[in-house]
Amino acid sequence: MKAWILRSFKKGIITSKFPKGKNESASPWSTLPIYTKGRQDPYCPVDAIAEGRVDANRCISCGLCYPEYEPSTDIHGSVSSVSVKALKKSIRLYQIDVGTCGACNVEIMTIASPQYDIARLGISFTNTPRQADALLVSGILTENMREPLKRAYEAMAEPRIVFAVGACAISGSLLGKAVSEALRVDVTVPGCPPDPFTIIDAVQKARGFK
Amino acid sequence: MRQKDIAFIESGNSLYTLDRFTELPVLRAQSNTTGMQRENISTPDNNTLSVFPYGPSSGGMVESVYFDILTQGERIQKVSYDAGYKNRSIKLWGLSMSEALLRIERMNGVHSAAYSSMFCNICESGIGLDVPEEIGYLRVAMMEAERISSHLFVASRLTGGASQNIAHMNILLLREELLRTFASVFGHRYFFGVNRIGGIGRPVDIKGFQKKVRQISDEYKEIFRTLMDSRVFIDRLDKSAIIRGENSSGPTMRGAGIKKDGRNSHRYYEDLEFQTITADGGDALARFIVRSGEIQESAGIIEQVLSHAENLKMNISVNHEGSAFMSGGYMETPSGDASMIIKTESGKLVAMGFRSPSILNMEAFAESIGGNTFADFLFGYESLGIWICEMGDLL
Ligand code: SF4
Ligand code: SF4
Repeated sequence: MKAWILRSFKKGIITSKFPKGKNESASPWSTLPIYTKGRQDPYCPVDAIAEGRVDANRCISCGLCYPEYEPSTDIHGSVSSVSVKALKKSIRLYQIDVGTCGACNVEIMTIASPQYDIARLGISFTNTPRQADALLVSGILTENMREPLKRAYEAMAEPRIVFAVGACAISGSLLGKAVSEALRVDVTVPGCPPDPFTIIDAVQKARGFK
Repeated sequence: MRQKDIAFIESGNSLYTLDRFTELPVLRAQSNTTGMQRENISTPDNNTLSVFPYGPSSGGMVESVYFDILTQGERIQKVSYDAGYKNRSIKLWGLSMSEALLRIERMNGVHSAAYSSMFCNICESGIGLDVPEEIGYLRVAMMEAERISSHLFVASRLTGGASQNIAHMNILLLREELLRTFASVFGHRYFFGVNRIGGIGRPVDIKGFQKKVRQISDEYKEIFRTLMDSRVFIDRLDKSAIIRGENSSGPTMRGAGIKKDGRNSHRYYEDLEFQTITADGGDALARFIVRSGEIQESAGIIEQVLSHAENLKMNISVNHEGSAFMSGGYMETPSGDASMIIKTESGKLVAMGFRSPSILNMEAFAESIGGNTFADFLFGYESLGIWICEMGDLL
């Protein structure tokens, strides 16, 4: 057997204990910045800061508020207005890019890496919206993607949960319109891009695990 | 503006262009420029031909893009594409350089270190700012680390597509280890917010970074060797989407045996030793070999530059309000050379020209895939590392 295959066995269990245990990593600036010192209202390009607090839905993880604000490293920033217990056993996700910079797409795909191993949580991706329980929408809402987005949504069976993944999809960030202008959003997953743990945490919330 | 195959801006009665691989201190006026060629499918009167619409949203693709695939039986005759579905038409006009930087960084978030370094360098040259040498070194370290991560991503797509499951999972594992290292060293998995015009936006402590990168590149080298022994894998890549000639970019061009790399003439890379990796054949296998070789070279570059840059402090006290200049430059991103020209008045952008490598590579792909089988379509596409996001308009 090749040495690298043996070594990959030797590395032992690399799969995260999350969500039962703590997340092993976090992309600091993709988490909510919190006030630490100095001026409470430093410049923010998307006006996400008010009275010493940051609006997670607007923050684009740019770090311009540093050093007054520093990353919280808390990956639990997502908010779900649904709790679909029927999906506790398994959930199938369909990803749709309506105007991204590519990073949100790649971070969504990253949750299938061995460190996260979403199969253990009953989460999988599907290649067609017809088989999907949830739509993971990322990017700003571009005009030409309105129709494909609508068609993907209509192809799904109930409960068809809609996730807005990333600042672009949630608020339009610096670059355009929010996805909520075209579809009702059930779950917001903040960050630019959101950390993979934040994405998994959001999926678990929508399934009623929290 | 829509991207053309060269970066240019019109100013007065002149058209200013930027040559590939030559960072021109003075921009050249030129009378015309070649428009991007688009192919349209004309359906021949042959009833064995079929057109398969593919996309714009499809579970098999990373990004939204539409293809019309004309096939005869299993063989592809012709492909046309529409990369405009997700076009974000990013507006830069009237913005300050710092505001524009936030958008440029998101032109292609997966290659944001290269894009932001290019843009900062163009602005800094225009303003006439002397940026400390260590900042240039740090930018090189970020760009080379990003190259490794991007090439690993392409390798993961290829091994996944070829059902090389153990190699696929191990490459994903290595890439994630790398991204976690970026997060702990640079504060962000995709380097957002590190580059600022005139310096960097937060302190960076790179201790141990090069060691981690070397470990990952060494582990990848072994996976690569095993894959090169796998007949199944080689057969899948061999002769798939053959591209020849200079009208492509980056690893795609170097996979056609052309020894051109923007880093060889960029001032950030002066005095750094690395090889320009090329391969013969111009197919998916050649591109895979080039990318795999570049991972090793990038690790070597990072070791060289980080011996000059440790514990960098933030350095962003630059006043560029009121600057008026025209400046241009390029950068070798992981997918190939991107180039840009900007013009500012009173510190605001008033004109810009931009060309991404994916504009060239997408055209090269569409031309190359004819004659391949339908099953090779996605595989050939993935081997080019095309990013649709960077093909959009900058206004
Ligand atoms: S990171 Fe950027 S977008 Fe977020 S609060 Fe700070 S300045 Fe605003
Ligand atoms: S939210 Fe950020 S990372 Fe995601 S697509 Fe938008 S710019 Fe890119």
